[in-house]
Amino acid sequence: MLYEYDALSSLRQPDAVVFPRSTEQTVQIVKLAARENLPLVPRGAGTGLSGGAVASQGGILVGFSRMKEILEIDIENQRARVQPGVVNLDLSLAVSDQGYYFAPDPSSQKACTIGGNVAENSGGPHTLAYGVTTNHVLGLEVVLPGGEVIHTGAKFWDRPGYDLTGLFVGSEGTLGIVTEITVRLSRKPEAVKTLLATYDRVLDATRTVAAVTARGITPAALEMMDGFTLRAVEQATHAGYPMDCGAVLLIEVEGMREAAEEQASEIEAVCKENQARAVRRAETDEERELLWKGRKNAFGAIGRISPSYYVQDGVIPRTRLPEMLEFIGEVEKRYGLPIGNIFHAGDGNLHPLIMFDARDKDQSQRVLKAAQEIIAKCVDMGGSITGEHGVGIEKNELMPLIFSADDLAMMHRLKEVFNPRGRFNPGKVLPIGKMCGELRVQVSAGGEV
Amino acid sequence: VTLVPQSGVRSELAALLGESKVTSEPAACAAFAVDGKSPACVVYPPSPEQVAALLRYAADHELAVLPCRNATKLDTGNPPQRYDIALSLKELNQVWHYEPADLTISVEPGMKFGDFQYFVARHRLWLPLDPRGGAKASLGGIVATNSAGPLRLRYGSPRDMVLGLKVATTEGKIIKTGGRVVKNVAGYDLGKLLVGSYGSLGVIVEASLKLFPLPAERATFILRAGTLATARDLRRRILHSPLDPLRLTLLDPWAATLVRAGSREPGEAREHEVWIEVGGSTRVIERCEQEVRDLGRAAGSPPQRLARTETGEAEKFWARIADPAAWLKDAYPDGVVLRTTLPIASTEEFLNRAQQEVESESVGLAGLAQVGTGMVTLCLLEPKRAREFSGLVLRLRRAAEDLGGALIVEHCPWEFKSGIEAWGSAGDHFEVMRRVKGVWDPKGILSPGRFLGGL
Repeated sequence: MLYEYDALSSLRQPDAVVFPRSTEQTVQIVKLAARENLPLVPRGAGTGLSGGAVASQGGILVGFSRMKEILEIDIENQRARVQPGVVNLDLSLAVSDQGYYFAPDPSSQKACTIGGNVAENSGGPHTLAYGVTTNHVLGLEVVLPGGEVIHTGAKFWDRPGYDLTGLFVGSEGTLGIVTEITVRLSRKPEAVKTLLATYDRVLDATRTVAAVTARGITPAALEMMDGFTLRAVEQATHAGYPMDCGAVLLIEVEGMREAAEEQASEIEAVCKENQARAVRRAETDEERELLWKGRKNAFGAIGRISPSYYVQDGVIPRTRLPEMLEFIGEVEKRYGLPIGNIFHAGDGNLHPLIMFDARDKDQSQRVLKAAQEIIAKCVDMGGSITGEHGVGIEKNELMPLIFSADDLAMMHRLKEVFNPRGRFNPGKVLPIGKMCGELRVQVSAGGEV
Repeated sequence: VTLVPQSGVRSELAALLGESKVTSEPAACAAFAVDGKSPACVVYPPSPEQVAALLRYAADHELAVLPCRNATKLDTGNPPQRYDIALSLKELNQVWHYEPADLTISVEPGMKFGDFQYFVARHRLWLPLDPRGGAKASLGGIVATNSAGPLRLRYGSPRDMVLGLKVATTEGKIIKTGGRVVKNVAGYDLGKLLVGSYGSLGVIVEASLKLFPLPAERATFILRAGTLATARDLRRRILHSPLDPLRLTLLDPWAATLVRAGSREPGEAREHEVWIEVGGSTRVIERCEQEVRDLGRAAGSPPQRLARTETGEAEKFWARIADPAAWLKDAYPDGVVLRTTLPIASTEEFLNRAQQEVESESVGLAGLAQVGTGMVTLCLLEPKRAREFSGLVLRLRRAAEDLGGALIVEHCPWEFKSGIEAWGSAGDHFEVMRRVKGVWDPKGILSPGRFLGGL
């Protein structure tokens, strides 16, 4: 029963759940599934938001909670080799004393696994400056549907040949099952400055985002929450966000002491030019952590005030944020559903949270329509349907919005190279042509981004 | 398959692309010769659709096509098994969707890197790469070969900067992968396959790229290192310091001499040198200078400072460091350039072993190591005879593999190529790569035989 869900709920249970301890055992499971012609779904911690880790067509669910060894830490080469079940934050903690960390930092990093990060090509607030998971993965060990084990990439850059590692990252377990990952470790910066800018109007906050980029500053993170969301967050976490403002920006800059200081001052000036009511700097590590805690627990906080919510993951060019905010406001009014806005604003990745009551059929229908309008607008602006949550079973029917039949045919043919019978994580990523009128997936509180 | 006589191909291509877009003039064809083979004709398709139409035609008639712009990197790879058509991307030279405030741009493959940098510099932006071919390299070629030099330390390689691609396929279609926004996980990341595929899967007709703000100022410092042990000590100290260098290169004594001279002149004998470039405001650079001074003192090497700005002397030297083959081949026509990628802790040891390997040969060695990324370039300056060359390259490749890396032949006289596989050996992933190639190019018409294992 428990494995029926990830952060996105589905309607079907797996037929069996297994927990391999090694690559060899994974191979045995894969061979068994091949013999019995059963679907196979890999799963890390189940924190995903697009249903990538649910067995929507039954079959064997392969949990990686017993493959959670950090196999090698090689500080001088800035590399680590891990099993897929290693929790994201645990790797950073393991190398923290030596001044390193693993850069991708999804908000669920205390729970989510690196294997899951690889499958979804996960992002996080700090991917603005440092890139998403694919920029930090160098090599993989993969079990293919026939049971063959291959090794892609290496500890070093640019192993000759096609970049299969880059193809596997983000393929949502549909091409092969990853059993070992070689990642890059990043050096911690000398200084970090965290700023909280508060605004009366959300429009001014979004204008600041484009202005910061236009000044030639690349913050390490640049997050936005609207007033509605931050009030929910403040009630839940007491992070010290002002209760009466229209929006906040949480901005972080890092680097050499002098560089971080200069950038923080420049950002303060840009915020004020754009009508920020106040700009506060976190003076201590505790204060900084508290500000981030508020942001990272935002979804949980919304869950406290709304029985259900639907979160989207569209991306737009960051300069179009003000226009998008206005549009979301109109959608909110038109459908009569409250929408909270929480964005990885620096890279134009939106997470509008549409609140509703899933028990109310009419509301559920309206949520879908409102969500579709917002996604269509993202696509119109030259954006994407998903920035970091993945396609899964939630957005596969939306793929034709951004890809032509020819584009999808090429993806399909490449999938067949690896997974010709479609038994690996069936029904994910590519459209299967079953658009249905009701919520195929039901979103409840608890997911984190 | 309809096999068409050579003269027929020319007229059919002219019908497809326009009379002025096809030539079979011997001089024009010779200019596109690869490894001693000239194509039967050169085509200049003026639009992405015509690139696709050309590929379809070539696939239908099983004609081998090599895509290219300025031929700055065509020396890398195995000799083509067949070569009928040189596909010049010269006419695809447009910029689309340039959004300076979004730090994104979409550009056609034929645009020259120098023109591109000039174009975006007016908004104080750049594509922070120092690829092979420098200003003459094309954007399409840079992406297709994932060409990155010393700047990779701070900024990564084209793999990290490509947001999306449009690709003409041998089916005659134009497919899109990725997009134009900086974050996007919709669908398989097919772009990763194209980046670094050396023209063997499809032809890139548009690339959407991430741009970066130009550093306000830059400065280069040089530290002398008497021995490789001192160099290793310096590398460890620098990478563990608060410095966040743009570039960090170890030059062996001969490389240090040649980089300064830019030619064959012997010049004064030098020591190993560690070159560091930093960027930022005046205040940041002052702090960096202090850090470098302290690091140098701790390792027993006082730093020397080079000119400050990008237009200064330093930039000239960095360009030579980024692409030694480009200028060494005039001074050493028989020279060979090998590119090794290693775990970074092995870079100095590899230089040491390479030195030992060449000692017994009548070969000069200049080594340039990007010690922060593990990319090591070896220049063999007088290899003379092909037989000696292949034995030496195999020994150097073995040394690289023993240290956990790989070695490719980046540049050598084509007569030497028959004795050696340019890319080295493939692993247990090769069968999958072969099938991937089969999806994109089932007839094997794109750069046939040139990539790893004859892909």
